[in-house]
Amino acid sequence: MSRRSIGASTLALPWPSSGERGRRTGVDGSVLAVTVVLALIGLVMVFSASAVVAGNRFHDSIYFLKRQLAWLLFGFLLLQVVSRLDYTVWRRMALPILGLTAVLLVLVLIPSLGVVAKGARRWLRLGLVSVQPAEMVKLVVVIYLAAYLTKKAEMVREFGAGLLPPLIIVGVLAGLVLLQPDLGTVVVIGLVTFGLLFLGGARLSHLLGLVLAALPLGAMLILESPYRRLRLMTFLAPWKDPADAGFQVTQSFLAFGSGGLFGVGLGEGKQKLFFLPEAHTDFVLALVGEELGLAGTTAIMVLYAVLVLKGFQIAGRAREPFGRHLALGIALLIGVQVLINAGVVTGLLPTKGLTLPLVSYGGSSLLVSLVAIGILLSVSRDRQGGRASSGYGRGIGAR
Amino acid sequence: MTGTDSHRGRRIVVAFVLMLGFAVVIFRLFTLQVLQAAELTVKAERQHRKAVTVEGERGTIYDRHGKVLAINVDVPSVFGVPSSLENPSGVARDLARVLHVRADEIEKKLKQERSFVWIARKLDPEQGRRLEGMSLEGIGTVMEGRRFYPKGPLLSHVLGFAGMDGQGLEGIERRYEPYLRGEKQIVVLQRDALGRTVFPKGLDEQGPAAGHSVMLTIDEVIQYMAEKELEEAVTATGAKGGVVVVMEPRTGAILAMAVNPRFDPNAVRAISADRWRNRALTDAYEPGSTMKVFVAAAALEEKVMTPGTLVYVENGQMVVANTVIHDHEKAGWMTFAQVIQRSSNIGSVKTAMALGEDRVYRYLRAFGFGERTEIDLPGEGAGLVKEPQDWGSRSLSSIAIGQEIGVSAVQLATALSAVANGGWLMKPYIVSEVRDAKGRVVMQAGPQVRRRPVSPETALTLTGILEGVVAHGTGSKAAVPGYRVAGKTGTAQKIDPQTGAYSASLFVGSFVGFVPAEDPRMAIVVVIDEPQTEAWGGVVAAPVFQRIAEQALPYLGVSPHQPIKLAMNATGGVLQRP
Repeated sequence: MSRRSIGASTLALPWPSSGERGRRTGVDGSVLAVTVVLALIGLVMVFSASAVVAGNRFHDSIYFLKRQLAWLLFGFLLLQVVSRLDYTVWRRMALPILGLTAVLLVLVLIPSLGVVAKGARRWLRLGLVSVQPAEMVKLVVVIYLAAYLTKKAEMVREFGAGLLPPLIIVGVLAGLVLLQPDLGTVVVIGLVTFGLLFLGGARLSHLLGLVLAALPLGAMLILESPYRRLRLMTFLAPWKDPADAGFQVTQSFLAFGSGGLFGVGLGEGKQKLFFLPEAHTDFVLALVGEELGLAGTTAIMVLYAVLVLKGFQIAGRAREPFGRHLALGIALLIGVQVLINAGVVTGLLPTKGLTLPLVSYGGSSLLVSLVAIGILLSVSRDRQGGRASSGYGRGIGAR
Repeated sequence: MTGTDSHRGRRIVVAFVLMLGFAVVIFRLFTLQVLQAAELTVKAERQHRKAVTVEGERGTIYDRHGKVLAINVDVPSVFGVPSSLENPSGVARDLARVLHVRADEIEKKLKQERSFVWIARKLDPEQGRRLEGMSLEGIGTVMEGRRFYPKGPLLSHVLGFAGMDGQGLEGIERRYEPYLRGEKQIVVLQRDALGRTVFPKGLDEQGPAAGHSVMLTIDEVIQYMAEKELEEAVTATGAKGGVVVVMEPRTGAILAMAVNPRFDPNAVRAISADRWRNRALTDAYEPGSTMKVFVAAAALEEKVMTPGTLVYVENGQMVVANTVIHDHEKAGWMTFAQVIQRSSNIGSVKTAMALGEDRVYRYLRAFGFGERTEIDLPGEGAGLVKEPQDWGSRSLSSIAIGQEIGVSAVQLATALSAVANGGWLMKPYIVSEVRDAKGRVVMQAGPQVRRRPVSPETALTLTGILEGVVAHGTGSKAAVPGYRVAGKTGTAQKIDPQTGAYSASLFVGSFVGFVPAEDPRMAIVVVIDEPQTEAWGGVVAAPVFQRIAEQALPYLGVSPHQPIKLAMNATGGVLQRP
């Protein structure tokens, strides 16, 4: 596929005629614009990161680029469709999707079906492509919780009848993900759930209790597993053993450091040449740091921050409570995953296998992110009492 | 709408927390990329220096029957780790005894401020064993692939050779470098418990993938015949050198390509670059009378001539643009077929004049002269065919007898194949298949038609005339008993580099031909450069053709033809098929 085809699909997207000042029912143009920019940055960086490795391994330097581009085009098609749907359809679909996802999560654990890579059973082969059910779970949990919070708006302040049922259901899903094992996704699910319940009006005392209950559980999970314990130790002292366990993070530091303010130039990075592991997936931000410098990394972070704030603004304007919860959940999902990924790559957090949404290489992650933004766009069409005065003031951070 | 406002405060809190998170990340990026940038950059650079590139084994080159022509063999290389040496000069003395290198040179290497230095690479296996036996502290050996050409000089100009780091420098090795080269892996040198840098272990188990193997259209046996006969002829005639190209006319596949003098790619450093050149495609020469074949093809195709057309050849002397053109044989009238068979210059000039400049030029270009054949070998030249507007008053008559034009042996073989195969100009090729390390086919080449300069009828008629050249013309020494041979001799004067005029003593003798004429399996071009004993292509080059064909035809399983038909075609000039 050529570059031209990206352009064509972008032009066909429902841009409002003039952004915010467009029709009342138009989708939010700035969200779409930020998404497109991030996805294109991702495409360029994936190519830069993978060209040499792919050239060596497959004798095809655009091996990863081709695949990412194909997923991107398919993802934007889905985004188009989803953004035109009435989002209340997800409320009715919440439980069926939840059930389907649970089934996929069980299937992926069956040795003959789930594909093992790097010590974890995460992929499910469906015909030509492999999918990661764990990527879907994050969005499904958001949809399910939004539906639940809409239905039981008043009950949420009670523990047994309000808070406990969703906690059990999300807990089961998280448990299945943990069996793969994929602690990173579990942490994202946990934080998003916690955030949505807080935003949905749960009592602070209940939530505080939850945190206290989760702490020993988390500690146990970490200390039980040798590799997590090792990751924690290397997080605390990464330079102690740079040749082995701390390798990823120290290589990431070196990439950021050698980038400086404006980077060594696109495609000029040396760290991606077998030093920086996963340069095209989880550690793509480190490559941006090396090649485009602080200017590039800061720009990406600001774009994500804009995306998250727009999510909150869209939530604030939504007419339906379900739309509000949905928008908040998606904004949280993107925000939390970006922060954890950036935190890991910059050594602020212990290593977890999480992608940088929209930018990292990976079909499942890209597709789920684009569908989530499609849903966010469909909520953005539903503005309370038109634009300006009444709706605008309510948007968090819009002032 | 009450629901919307009830938790607005909480939304602000959560949004604030998230923005705080972004702020922290950006601050962290600032510390890494600005405050610690200098320190981290130094560390990164040091690390890049500590990396060693390891490569998968270079791919093998085979002939068309899977015979190995170039292969990698593992030989030891010795490296040093200067930081872990206590007595560099002592170690250097010990090494010098085995390596036959001066001790102070090794010592200089071992005193460098580096964690890894090569001391000597690609040694003999025996040297490696002795070094291992000495077990010197801080000195180690690894096995590396050295390129080895088991057949020595055979096909060396086509194969080319690879350098010390396994990079293809000439020939197939260079053209197919991206395929042949093994996977590259950067290995970070590791430290052991004492902080010494060591070459990582277990490289063999998870090493990088080997390069692709390349299969040629060359037949090792025919190549051997061609090189042997060429060598003998060059020696016997005291020539400067020579070229033989054997092509499969129907496909354009190269069966053999021999260049003399030969060289051994296993010991290439001792040889001057001039000797590596594959003259079969890099060098253009004035072909002389062999060019008459293609002028004749044009005349037949344009119906300017038929084999029986009578041509007056002026009793051996004719003046064109103040220049006298001679024939080596004085005659009055001869048929057009005889003009070719007896290689009459005057008859050919008259033929070219009947065609006119534009048509001669057009047909020469159609036969591929003046452009690259695009054979898959590096360094091919396009030859030289001037455009008609640049022609002088003598050009047309010069070109008609193969002067003022430069062609390569590969161009000639390709153009001749078009006459042999019924008029198709093929794209010559020398690699038929590329397979990856697991044996899967990565690339495949087959016959490719470039264009059709003449009709099958013209090709057939011309073949009949060319059979007469061998049967009772200038090329009789190319005759192979039992087979029908079509061909043409050529004798060209070389331009004397001192005077700039045609030399009376420097010649290029050549013969181009194909066999069997009724169903050609080989088109062979033989060029002998500066023969001393005799100049005539019919004397120096035709016998080479004959001896190669004589051996190669039975090898290819081509059965001899009945001699009766040979005689019939030879007398008639017009080919008749039963």
